[in-house]
Amino acid sequence: MNKPLYLLFWSALIMVCFTSCVKDTDFDQADDIVITPVLELDFIYFALDENDYFNPITGEQLLTVSDTTSLNFLDGTFVQEDLKRAEFLFRFENSVNLDFITEFRFLNDNNVLKYELFIDIPAGSTTAPLLLEHIENIEDQGIIDLTRASKVVVNVTVPTSIENIEGALNLQSKTTYFLEI
Amino acid sequence: MRNLLCFILIPLIGALTYGQNKQILYDFGDIPQSLLVNPSTTMEQDYHVGIPFLSQFSFHFGSSGVSAYDIFGSSSVDINTRIQNIIYGMKSTDFFSVNQQLELLSFGWKNPKGIYFSGGIYQELDIFTYFPKDWAVLAWDGNRDYLEREFDFNDISLTAELLSVFHFGANKQINEKLTLGVRGKIYSSIAHARSVNNGGVFVTKEVEGSDNIYQHQIIGANVTVETSGIQTLSEANSSAEVMNKVIKRAFLGGNLGLGFDLGATYKINRKFTATASLIDLGAVFHKNDAESYVARGNHTLDGIELLFPPLSGGQSTFDYYDDVENNFEDDIPLDTINSSYTQFRPLKVNASIKYGFGRSQNAKVCDCLNKDDGDGFREEVGMQLFAIKRPKRLQLAVTAFYKRRFGNFITGKLTYTVDSYSSSNLGMGLSTNFNWFNFYIAVDNILKYQNVAKAKNVSLQLGFNLKIDKNE
Repeated sequence: MNKPLYLLFWSALIMVCFTSCVKDTDFDQADDIVITPVLELDFIYFALDENDYFNPITGEQLLTVSDTTSLNFLDGTFVQEDLKRAEFLFRFENSVNLDFITEFRFLNDNNVLKYELFIDIPAGSTTAPLLLEHIENIEDQGIIDLTRASKVVVNVTVPTSIENIEGALNLQSKTTYFLEI
Repeated sequence: MRNLLCFILIPLIGALTYGQNKQILYDFGDIPQSLLVNPSTTMEQDYHVGIPFLSQFSFHFGSSGVSAYDIFGSSSVDINTRIQNIIYGMKSTDFFSVNQQLELLSFGWKNPKGIYFSGGIYQELDIFTYFPKDWAVLAWDGNRDYLEREFDFNDISLTAELLSVFHFGANKQINEKLTLGVRGKIYSSIAHARSVNNGGVFVTKEVEGSDNIYQHQIIGANVTVETSGIQTLSEANSSAEVMNKVIKRAFLGGNLGLGFDLGATYKINRKFTATASLIDLGAVFHKNDAESYVARGNHTLDGIELLFPPLSGGQSTFDYYDDVENNFEDDIPLDTINSSYTQFRPLKVNASIKYGFGRSQNAKVCDCLNKDDGDGFREEVGMQLFAIKRPKRLQLAVTAFYKRRFGNFITGKLTYTVDSYSSSNLGMGLSTNFNWFNFYIAVDNILKYQNVAKAKNVSLQLGFNLKIDKNE
């Protein structure tokens, strides 16, 4: 091949490379990408009746029963940084002819209270159970406090003895977690 | 500066985007590396030697469903909306693919009986993953809007391997019409991982009469991840130790395998020629440092049931949260298995038919006195078919091409390819010879070169060889 033609060929190839480019794109938009999944997850559930308000170990009738579960995921770094809102749905069914007060106390590892909520449940009956839904929306400072907790203590209190009273208090609950990652 | 950057980056991006389908290189006899795509390709020179480490470099990144422009293009639509639309629009059979090859050594020679022997060593990285649509939707949106929807573990399907290949082959013209080629390969695996043929679903649903509001169910989970060569690399104490292990494995110190390439070229008549090849008909046997993880089972989670047990002073209640975790691990245990396994290499199939015409200007196939009556044609047109076996289905490509020889010095090939990436892939290959020195370049998807961001698959491949003839 003669030299001018050879040079022309490679010059053309280099021109192709020079005129090729990434255009009309803005990779800085990557900073604006926000993943916002909304997760629905069951929370706690229970069924309480008169038997639960009697302590066979001590022989006492109780007005308040209490239980605790750890929520180890709640104070994890990921949740603390990316959980922006949590919405708890508590669905009660009360067939006991007594009012109840439920208390949810979210504590950290040192048992310091970080978030607390109370729900009053009016009396129902075995023939017409009381249905109650309570939505607790937690965001802003509330979500910061909540995600410092690692366990929840649930207290369920009756004003008078439940002995020999029919019916039960049932709870179903779920949490909707609003994340921004 | 912008153009200078482009000048540097575009060949690099191109080099990063050369696919497994080497439609430009296929049956391009001017380029010795075409023997790796069809071992029956006729070589015109008597000897060839690739410039070590420079005789072939290629790297591919391709996506069947999305380009960089689709995500990062200038638009009035918010980028998160665009990503959401892409996730919704892509299918679980869309895929992402990365393939890189670096030839370390390449050589060949023709013996007195006309058999062309060739061999060499190349390193290959191949990563292929289907778009895990269900899990992308779950990660992007969460499960709130998808109650009752089953998220399928089968959407998780990926393979990744790093290996070196030692090969030696030969081709011979059997008779006037038929040329056959064969290549034997020894694979030396450096690292491998795959998770394919997974099964089972995850679903969140409301079940009448259940204890809590939802049931989160994992049904029929059967998820496997097989790895080889990764465990010891991850346990290495220094990057130098990693490099030592990688180099040792690259030179036959890894898990070994055997494979073959087969090729045939058949002259139907003087002007029509058909070719076909099977590439990587073989397997790697992962015996050393093989570790697999298997999770199988069914599980239902419906929250934490508080039992309010009667307690005396100092007693603590049940560890409900641990119970939830333990139940999950009991139902779907994660087993680690140290047993060998066999990995079949992704089989590639090529086929073509071409029509030659025009007076050859090749000095070695001189047709000067016998106008248009020799074997070597100045121009060729034809069709090529490419298929590669991937975990879920065959990946196909059809190429139309036009090839022309410009004297003895330049041969060019134009291709138009329809494949999973696009239906407007125009490619160009050029091979130049200057004395013994051969340089080739293959550019794919050149219509997108004005804005590479819009291409789902752009490629560039190049290399340097010495081609030697006894008579020169």
